[in-house]
Amino acid sequence: MGALVETSRQYRHLFDIYVPIALGVFALVVVILAVVIVRYRGRKPEQAASWHEHNPLESAYAVMLGCVVVFLLYVTYRAEHQVDTVAARERPALTVDVYGAKWEWHFHYPAYGIDRYSGSVGHETLVLPTDEPIRMRLVSLDVIHEFWVPELRYKHDLIPGYPQDITITFPDAGSFPGQCAEFCGLYHSRMTFTVDAVSPASFAAWARAHARRSTAHAASGGVRIGAHVAASAPARLGR
Amino acid sequence: MNVTAPALPTAPRLSGWLGAATSTDHKRIGLNMILASLAFFLVGGVMALMMRTQLATPDTRFVSDETYDALFTMHGSTMIYLFVTPMAIAIGVYLVPLQIGAATIAAPRVALAGSWTWLSGGLIMQSGWLTEEGPGRAGWFSYVPLSNSSNTPGVGQDLWTLGVILAALGMLLVAACVLATILRHRAPGMAVLRMPIFTWTELVTALMVVGAFPVLIVAMALLYAERMGAHVYMGYTGAIDYQDMFWFFGHPVVYVMFFPYLGAAAEAIAVNAHKRWFGYKAFVASMLAFSALSMSVWSHHMFTTGGVTNQYFAFTSTALVVPAGIEYFDMIGTLVGGALVFRVSMLFALTFFVQFLIGGLSGIYLASPVLDYQAQASYIVIGHFHYTLFAGSIFGFFAGVYHWFPKVTGARLREGLGRVHLVLLTIGTNMTFAPMFFLGEKGMPRRIAEYPEHPGWATLNLVSSIGSGVVALGVAAFLVNVVVSLREREPAGDDPWLGHTLEWATSSPPPRHNFDRPLPPITSYAPLLDLRERAAEAEGAHARRLAAGSGGLGPSPAERSP
Repeated sequence: MGALVETSRQYRHLFDIYVPIALGVFALVVVILAVVIVRYRGRKPEQAASWHEHNPLESAYAVMLGCVVVFLLYVTYRAEHQVDTVAARERPALTVDVYGAKWEWHFHYPAYGIDRYSGSVGHETLVLPTDEPIRMRLVSLDVIHEFWVPELRYKHDLIPGYPQDITITFPDAGSFPGQCAEFCGLYHSRMTFTVDAVSPASFAAWARAHARRSTAHAASGGVRIGAHVAASAPARLGR
Repeated sequence: MNVTAPALPTAPRLSGWLGAATSTDHKRIGLNMILASLAFFLVGGVMALMMRTQLATPDTRFVSDETYDALFTMHGSTMIYLFVTPMAIAIGVYLVPLQIGAATIAAPRVALAGSWTWLSGGLIMQSGWLTEEGPGRAGWFSYVPLSNSSNTPGVGQDLWTLGVILAALGMLLVAACVLATILRHRAPGMAVLRMPIFTWTELVTALMVVGAFPVLIVAMALLYAERMGAHVYMGYTGAIDYQDMFWFFGHPVVYVMFFPYLGAAAEAIAVNAHKRWFGYKAFVASMLAFSALSMSVWSHHMFTTGGVTNQYFAFTSTALVVPAGIEYFDMIGTLVGGALVFRVSMLFALTFFVQFLIGGLSGIYLASPVLDYQAQASYIVIGHFHYTLFAGSIFGFFAGVYHWFPKVTGARLREGLGRVHLVLLTIGTNMTFAPMFFLGEKGMPRRIAEYPEHPGWATLNLVSSIGSGVVALGVAAFLVNVVVSLREREPAGDDPWLGHTLEWATSSPPPRHNFDRPLPPITSYAPLLDLRERAAEAEGAHARRLAAGSGGLGPSPAERSP
């Protein structure tokens, strides 16, 4: 088995190719412009050259640009293959169902019966193990939402009517902010959550301690809107 | 067939406001749209200032969440449907007939009807502010199902949808007239490959409008039906279908909002370099390739939906590097060997090319799905498209304003005030939009009315908000310049800059049917420059003959040929 796909590393790899090229091109154009401006300013209109075409040169230049395009696509396709295809083939160590609803996240751990809620009415963390592939099943219960953890350099839409799976891996332990990235109405800005990435051993201990407890809490509580939408989820999805 | 010339229209001409509003003169129609678009620009700008005030610090509570949603929706809608796009078409309505030596626009009454349809769409959209729930508030692309009547209830969103339909329909009609004018009304000698650069940019723009806008109108009409209770956009496929239809319009329109301003900047650079635009044929080919590609890149807005083939749209989007690169090559090729004069129009045009490059290069970055997984819906995207539209297109627009203002009004704009305008706008623009790239990379999503106190966010947002105030000062300097220049006029004459194209071969402002004198021979895409070059050549030949002591014998056969 190869190394796990880390979205943040694939991003960084591409970033380190694209951004230096962009900065180099920008600097080059600015320098050429500056030189040309200094060289050709303040001349009399009669001194202006009358040549105005060089098609072989432009064709060669277009071919060179085409090579740049091919190179950029090559590195992009390689990275995308990892992020979208290879990661999806990994066997997940944990599956989490992610329900998005205005304006609340509901994270359901089917293996443990744990439910966590975060967003406009509360802030429970999404606890995940590091160094293990995690399958997130993204389900929207109303409008389009988007699961985004900037630390992962990755986001994906939750579109009503069709659950989609993503596979992510947290290489480092830590506490990372996440939020809904697709505008979803009035309290979109409050649809936030925090990921607690912890070692697999700590995660196992946490999961044991929390197993089933929070479902009982949700059933007895009653004010959490996430609990209602979770209950109505299967019916809506079947539509 | 014996046809007698029809009598000239004898119906009394309306005068004053009514006359200006109902004139079928393309210059009047174009100018009306330009002035209305500028008014919408100021309205949209005020909304931007309000948003930047709200975002100045993490805990500013300047407006409510609901108002903020209305502000960003209406700011985007106003700028795109009511300012940058119609302005791009309207300057074509004014200038294209002049540039191709036509007396009128094709189907002037259709153009007039289109301009009013567009304006009524704009007013209907803005009238949402007067309703109880406020105006549209589902974003300028109003994705379903958020924009349906259960998730965004209220008549304001209905008015927004209707307004977009009418505005798009109006612009479609006007652009069709521009297209027909270019195809059918060119002066004798104005072959397709002798059309000026700006006219070419308007041609490809009109082609994209005709290809893409009907799809927007249909998507919005269906959204309106959905809001009225029909079930149109159902479930996942409905959501994806809407996005496909919307962006099939939404991506070409970003080039509609770019090409005419590119054309304006190109004309300003060529005239101020006293040298015709370099690489005409390559430029024309690249414009055609650019517009064709622009119709096939739309789903790069949907990389994170899981509903499109990302590799294909990454390919088409990245391929835009080639035509865009040709444009920059041609711009530099025009400057090399020229005699550069740095009037304000030239400075705006050069700033346009430098700043648009930031927008363009960040666009290549966004065309990579893996990079877009981070950038999509973040402030990186906001920074990117404001660098293309504001730092780019608007600077190209101002290059065009300083270049053609004397033609339209007969008076020059003040150079000194123009430099103040340029400097303020450049500083403000970069202060406002450069921090957005860093904010987005750090994880700030777009469309949030408040943001957490993550390290660095507050400072970057504050710099951005201060920058927006500097932009406002720059725009104020422009308005002052217009008022001063119109009140104390510096007469421009017919051709103040040694222009290249036919609009400089008539009076300023041009007469009702554009040319009261015979057109100069149209020998290339820069006919007036041809005339000057031939005159200089003849003068040179004459001087040489005098020096050789052969004066009076007339030109040699070699010198007589053109």
